[in-house]
Amino acid sequence: MSALVVAIARTADREAFALLFRHFAPRVKAFLMRSGLAANAAEELAQETLLTVWRKASYFDPARAAASTWIFTIARNLSIDLKRRERHMGTVDLDAVDEEADETSGETILMSAEREARVRAALSKLSEEQATIVRLSFFQEKPHSQIAQELGIPLGTAKSRVRLALSRLRTLLEDLK
Amino acid sequence: MSVHSHPGDETLLRFAAGTLPAGPALLVEIHLQGCPLCRTAVRRFEAVGGALLDAAEPAALAGDAFARTLAQLGSAPMSGGLTGGGARRDHLEAAFSRPPAAPRLPEGLLLPEGVRLPQPLTSRRIGSMIPVSPGVRMGRVHVPEDGQSNVFLFQIGPGRAIPQHTHAGTEYTHVICGGFSDPSGHYGAGDIVEADGDVEHSPRVDDDGTCICLAAFEGRLRFRGLLGVVLRPFL
Ligand SMILES: [Zn+2]
Repeated sequence: MSALVVAIARTADREAFALLFRHFAPRVKAFLMRSGLAANAAEELAQETLLTVWRKASYFDPARAAASTWIFTIARNLSIDLKRRERHMGTVDLDAVDEEADETSGETILMSAEREARVRAALSKLSEEQATIVRLSFFQEKPHSQIAQELGIPLGTAKSRVRLALSRLRTLLEDLK
Repeated sequence: MSVHSHPGDETLLRFAAGTLPAGPALLVEIHLQGCPLCRTAVRRFEAVGGALLDAAEPAALAGDAFARTLAQLGSAPMSGGLTGGGARRDHLEAAFSRPPAAPRLPEGLLLPEGVRLPQPLTSRRIGSMIPVSPGVRMGRVHVPEDGQSNVFLFQIGPGRAIPQHTHAGTEYTHVICGGFSDPSGHYGAGDIVEADGDVEHSPRVDDDGTCICLAAFEGRLRFRGLLGVVLRPFL
């Protein structure tokens, strides 16, 4: 996937864009719907996310992040922006400080894939309950009450389970730069 | 500046996920500028976000979604390459056309020599610093995109205490300069402290200098006693 973004940056490769779109647009839509966006708005934003991928491909640095991570941050920033616009605020360029990425080698693309595999491996080491907690913490604005409800535990217990789950996650990701 | 006290894992995760309200997020953003440790933690959580995105069950798109996006590609400026692309030029132009204005300090704020307000704060509107108790002034930082939180800048004289207060949600405090102590420890410049709403506390500032700090309160804020009455219209 990282190689596809790099191909867009280098040669405006439309075929690479089509592949990225096919994989990520439906997932970004699903992701945004889970964090509470209506289907229509989620679809709009998913398209905008992929458009941004095309426009900003040269800012992608595979030495720093996997393509999925980069696309996640784009979708996140666009949805923060949308929420602000809904409150009649001007838009904020959340990545104005981004630097254009250096020339990419095959090696860095490999690093990017490896990073991704390691995060997946870490997540798979969490217990089912902890994985649920991490997921809900990501999607919910008020995760504690949601977690308490979903796991059928008191609110106070939910708070301490969140703390435990996240400190385990932190340990598992310790050597990830 | 050496940071001793960091945002909690959950706060950093919510920041990375984009679900932390804008008020506390402003404080975290300022903390990250001075804390490489937390910057790394946020990047790890973003990588978790990427993995969750990648593993998401795809949602069906409208039949013409790809075609509609493709139709916009042509008009989208491509960046990078030897020709000097759009995006980078946009940023350069932005940098030149918008020279960083000398930050307007809120009325009534006295910054100790050599101290500046951190960057994300200087682009915010801050109300004048009104005296709320002996040696203590506070001014509201406007975060209109966050209807849930209250963000205040505090200027507290040596040896003075922040007035006793309670609040419904978490309180985040970021120290800009000086230091203060509460029963949980001592905090200095760059530190972020998180306190649960149910603890009633009034941190005391060090004797050797003014403390400027930024506080974000989730949920409604209540001050005790007469001060609460005086401040009611203000909160
Ligand atoms: Zn930190």
